[in-house]
Amino acid sequence: MKVSTALCSAALGVGLGTLLLPGAALADTTVSPASTPVGGTVVLTATTCNPKSGDALFRVTGPNRDQNVRSTTAAAGGGLSAELFTAGFTLGTYTVAATCGDGSSAGSATFTVTPIGAAPAGSGGDNRDTGALAAGGTLLGTALAGAVILIRRRRPVSTVA
Amino acid sequence: MVAAYPTGRGRPARRERAGLITVGLTVDPERPPRPPADAPRRTHPAPDLAPLPRAAPVRVLIPAIDVRADVVPVGADSAGVLEVPPLDRPTLAGWYRHGVSPGEIGNAVLVGHVDAPTGPAVFFDLGRLRAGQQIQVTRADAQVATFTVNDVRAYGKEHFPSTLVYGPADAAGLRLITCGGRFDAATGNYVDNIIVFATRTA
Repeated sequence: MKVSTALCSAALGVGLGTLLLPGAALADTTVSPASTPVGGTVVLTATTCNPKSGDALFRVTGPNRDQNVRSTTAAAGGGLSAELFTAGFTLGTYTVAATCGDGSSAGSATFTVTPIGAAPAGSGGDNRDTGALAAGGTLLGTALAGAVILIRRRRPVSTVA
Repeated sequence: MVAAYPTGRGRPARRERAGLITVGLTVDPERPPRPPADAPRRTHPAPDLAPLPRAAPVRVLIPAIDVRADVVPVGADSAGVLEVPPLDRPTLAGWYRHGVSPGEIGNAVLVGHVDAPTGPAVFFDLGRLRAGQQIQVTRADAQVATFTVNDVRAYGKEHFPSTLVYGPADAAGLRLITCGGRFDAATGNYVDNIIVFATRTA
């Protein structure tokens, strides 16, 4: 009984806290776009950081990378943002964890660095060139055979003369 | 001593005839099938399947188009373009190893050639796949992930849908990629990519 009462109280407390502090429930970090071809730029935003508390710090971790990026601008929709240029990034998925200027956590998000553009997955009819070559070879062979026949037909005439 | 073809017409006429004969003898390669633009899409809500742990795929089976192929890992070249298995091994499919493996949450990507100098390659008939057909991927841990096709589309390479292919997803998905459309002899490339979108269903 005591356990269930304690659980109910805790649940009630969390619920009230959420109602009284809506900002806490919306604590979030976003990355836009969620995927970018390598070399593209993504915008990191800590939506709940107050610019007056100082810069936010975004920790970017992923394949062969662990770096901190400091916010540079106030986001239009609230919070703080930074641009991240992905040139030289290894392909894969990265996690961004944000910390506000006052030291509070602003959550985390992920983004993916993808290959550039389309897939070159076909040779496109190299066998067409082979066909043309074969045709050319056939024609050449036919011409040579014709020449041989003509030469043989002319030889007896010249001999008689 | 007199020129046999004073007007110069004889030789060109022969050339034209030779050209016609050459054209007549030229063998055009078979063109890969293209999915119809109005093909019905079908969404298969992902069943309540526990995601699989990471394990490299080793074999892909697509009964509807008679594909049984070994799978090798591929990455990207120094320019960031997706690698494809070598043209001298056209029966192989490649797994994009920087992404998730088939059965994990997210979109696993397999790529294969549509053709090679020797003729049709592993994914030549990808454009014939239709919504509802199945793809089975055997993994290195001996588990088999089964996917059901949702959609098959042709995209101009200038408009490759990177986010739909590699982007994040809430369920285990599979993307199969090959070339398609018209072959541009000037660039040495097909103008389209054929992409199959599938969701894990078993």
